[in-house]
Amino acid sequence: MKDANLLLRRFGAALKAALAIAFLIPLFFTVLVSVRPEAEPVTNGNIFFGSEVTLDNYQRALDIAPWSLHYLNSIVFVAGTLLVQLLTVTAAAYAFARMKFFGRNILLLIILLQLMIPSGVLLVQNFRTIQLLGLFDTRVALMIPYWGSAFGVLLLRQTFREVPLELEEAARIDGANLYQVIRHVYITNAIPAYLAFALVSVSSHWNEFLWPFIITRSEEIRPLTVGLNKLIKTTDQGAFYGQLMAGTLIVIMPLVILFLVFQRQFVESFARSGIR
Amino acid sequence: MALRRVIYVLLAAALLMTFGVTYAQDDIVIDFYFPSATANDAEGIFERYAGLFEEENPGVVVNPIFTGSYTDTRNTILTELQGGGAGPDVAVMLSIDLYSFAEEGYIIPAQGFIDAMDNGADYVNDFFPALMANGVDEMGNVWAIPFQRSTPILYYNADLLTEAGYDSPPTNNAELVEIAQALTTDERDGLLVPVAGGFPIWMYQSFAIAYGQNIVSDDPTEVYFNTPEAVAAVEFVRSLGTDLGVGPAGGAAWGDTPVAFLAGQAAMIYHTTGNLTRILNDADFEVGVWYLPSGPAGDDGAGYGAPTGGGNLYIFDDGSKSAEELDAIWRWVMFLSSPEIQADWGATTGYIAANASAWETEPLASLAQEHPQYGIARDQLQHVGKEFSSYATITIQGIINGTLESILTGESEDAQAAMDAAQEQIDGILAEYR
Repeated sequence: MKDANLLLRRFGAALKAALAIAFLIPLFFTVLVSVRPEAEPVTNGNIFFGSEVTLDNYQRALDIAPWSLHYLNSIVFVAGTLLVQLLTVTAAAYAFARMKFFGRNILLLIILLQLMIPSGVLLVQNFRTIQLLGLFDTRVALMIPYWGSAFGVLLLRQTFREVPLELEEAARIDGANLYQVIRHVYITNAIPAYLAFALVSVSSHWNEFLWPFIITRSEEIRPLTVGLNKLIKTTDQGAFYGQLMAGTLIVIMPLVILFLVFQRQFVESFARSGIR
Repeated sequence: MALRRVIYVLLAAALLMTFGVTYAQDDIVIDFYFPSATANDAEGIFERYAGLFEEENPGVVVNPIFTGSYTDTRNTILTELQGGGAGPDVAVMLSIDLYSFAEEGYIIPAQGFIDAMDNGADYVNDFFPALMANGVDEMGNVWAIPFQRSTPILYYNADLLTEAGYDSPPTNNAELVEIAQALTTDERDGLLVPVAGGFPIWMYQSFAIAYGQNIVSDDPTEVYFNTPEAVAAVEFVRSLGTDLGVGPAGGAAWGDTPVAFLAGQAAMIYHTTGNLTRILNDADFEVGVWYLPSGPAGDDGAGYGAPTGGGNLYIFDDGSKSAEELDAIWRWVMFLSSPEIQADWGATTGYIAANASAWETEPLASLAQEHPQYGIARDQLQHVGKEFSSYATITIQGIINGTLESILTGESEDAQAAMDAAQEQIDGILAEYR
């Protein structure tokens, strides 16, 4: 019996290791190719470091786009989006979870449906709206379509519904108003869900290309993905993998570091909020 | 509460940062959209050109805006115009985008501006005729001005050829196959033709022309995709990877081809002149460049063939722009296509400078003297044909690419049958334009 358990545990560990390696391989090659001389392609039997380790690729990638500007823009974009999302999503989630009003289920269904529409379909229409609002080529135009989040509303509504109603009633008896109830009863009990939502929101907008690209023209407000795009667009000359990988690392590094630092919290919050 | 204050401050800051750049009120602002297809800092180059132009043209501000790849650029502009936006004033788009944009009434011909010039004919005649082919409609009106243009050429590793006893590059298909076979080893391909990866049409056109039938004409409602020449051409390309065994079956991938050449893993490649500067800079062997070898259409020069490629300058106007604005826009187009800028642009990026006089202008003149390879790419232009373009270009190009790919990969064994089917589909689409 004991042996069987041990065997099972070992098998589990081996499986985890295999999965970890599978996920690490792309990152590993990204780093590898980014420090290889550009003129030495990766081929059969020649996959590791080239004749030397070089930072030339990084130098060239850095020369092609104003990265610090793009960094600032990406941070403003994801932070501005997330902050407003947290307000709207909390309010909507509380309303759907605890308030009774006419058409609640229909409205919820509409929000649910919205999750299923691919954003590309709405491109021209969203552009038209932004144009009507006079917001074309502004930071607000970047963020405004994301200031509501169907995913966030649904996630938090579920979480709020799991908060015992007695807690809210007790708070009410103690004289808490609506704002205080949301703040101290619901938000406090939903921190893991908020963390999970924030992670999804930040990483998806950090990686977002099409909308920012279409709706902005000024370099002053364009995010990192547009900078990375400049490294990809070498179609007339073929691929510059080294330079591209260097640029990719420049772009993803903050998220990777963020994740490594807060790894435990993220994993726990995902486990607790029921997203897999 | 501290947190709330932080949120307010951040929101206020975000709002403040939304205000963009402002211009002096009387300035005419030209929004110039450009794609990038090379590893150059195109943005920096255009900022420099804009600065030079503004010095010569007080009161005009040029605003260069990077719009991704050629495809991104087309989509960005279409989204913007369909969504009620202002769109660009001038844009670099593929030379084959002409009909898509002219049909919608988004662009205006350059012909009107040329007619108003004192020396309009000289201006037009200075461009290589091959580069004008895609910018002119069937009535002979000039719509688009050549800007970042290219054409496929043959690159060969001169060291390897010499080693194998060949002193000169192949000039016809028979020699091409012979040399490629002699240079093929287990570790090396004799010849790579980049037709794999979804966009074989451009390279394929070279062979179609060499076999005696370009798949397009001056009439945008006619496509010739199932002629005996067109079929023989694709069968030849397929045989390179099968019977002749000088390259991978199905052809090579576009992006990997120059990389393999530079690494010595391919003795000869077909690739764009847009790559010449990179290859000359990065190769540690002697790089030779020659015309694409001549096909069965004739050893007298008729068998040489390559399509043009790359981007032209288009002028956008829905009829709302003032005479002053249009005048400034045209001056910017003329500036970019001037011999001085074309010489600089060609030398910096590797694109073929579009006008003959640019080749006598510095820095291109000395560059071409130092590296005769540049001159060969230019001289091939006399044999070059029109790039594929028709009404409904994108759809038809998609059909042709799909058909070619299925033939090249061996999925469609019978090339003639597949091309007949494609031709029928294409004629169905074009019928409504005839």
